[in-house]
Amino acid sequence: MKIETHIDKFHRLDAALGRLRPDADCELWIWTAMNACVNLLNAALHRARLTEETDSFHTQVEGLYACPDRAHGTLTDAVHPPGDVMHAGQPALGTPLPDAIANASVALALIENLREPYVRGSEAPAAGASAEWERAYRTCVDRLSETLNISISR
Amino acid sequence: MNERMHVRKAERIERSLGLLDVEAFEAVIEGAMLAGTHWFNVLLHRAGVAAENADAMHAEFLTAGIRRKVAVLMPGALAALDEIETLRTTHVRGDMPDGSAAARRALACLARLREEATKRSAA
Repeated sequence: MKIETHIDKFHRLDAALGRLRPDADCELWIWTAMNACVNLLNAALHRARLTEETDSFHTQVEGLYACPDRAHGTLTDAVHPPGDVMHAGQPALGTPLPDAIANASVALALIENLREPYVRGSEAPAAGASAEWERAYRTCVDRLSETLNISISR
Repeated sequence: MNERMHVRKAERIERSLGLLDVEAFEAVIEGAMLAGTHWFNVLLHRAGVAAENADAMHAEFLTAGIRRKVAVLMPGALAALDEIETLRTTHVRGDMPDGSAAARRALACLARLREEATKRSAA
């Protein structure tokens, strides 16, 4: 998708995140934080010309994209170079990342790794654990918004 | 995960969804997928299609054989989860128009999944 579309989605997801509490709403908080960060990551990767602003949507299958026919509202599957990434390192880009994007990706991976125990699984977060999640989110957003030269209101 | 935990998870996520409106359509669709998948796993476990240590992650990732069986046993639930998953591609990872309407569809599909899981529980 286009850089502007990713940023628009980030703002909507970030606003939704602000209505959730990382402890009481941990499942949806984790998922929303992840999606917000992935959109900023895609915007930053496009801006750095490490990936392309293709008019296609990443599917649930790594490396498989859905290409829209906007006149008819239909989708066609396609395999092409990224494109949007689905998660940090998925698909792998095979090229070193600038430091800010690499640091953001590490922070994003921390959030992504919360999915199995706390969203799909039945583990209960330890008391105070969410402070680390919020720090990771802020780190990811700060590094990527610097890269994109956009301001994020807090 | 056992049925009781899936129910608890689905209800927690649905409570969180209640904090959002459909204008936050990406988060709403994702929440519908998360809660709906927990309801779907309740149905799979109860029908003996999947063991408690073999939760389905996405309906699309079921093996062809299991998916055929599920399509016979619980067609409404499968169709509802498939529709939510499709909306993720078009409106969460994609930018097709009418996001709020898509979120409303996702919530309707989630309600269908909840109804199927609780109906079969009461039966």
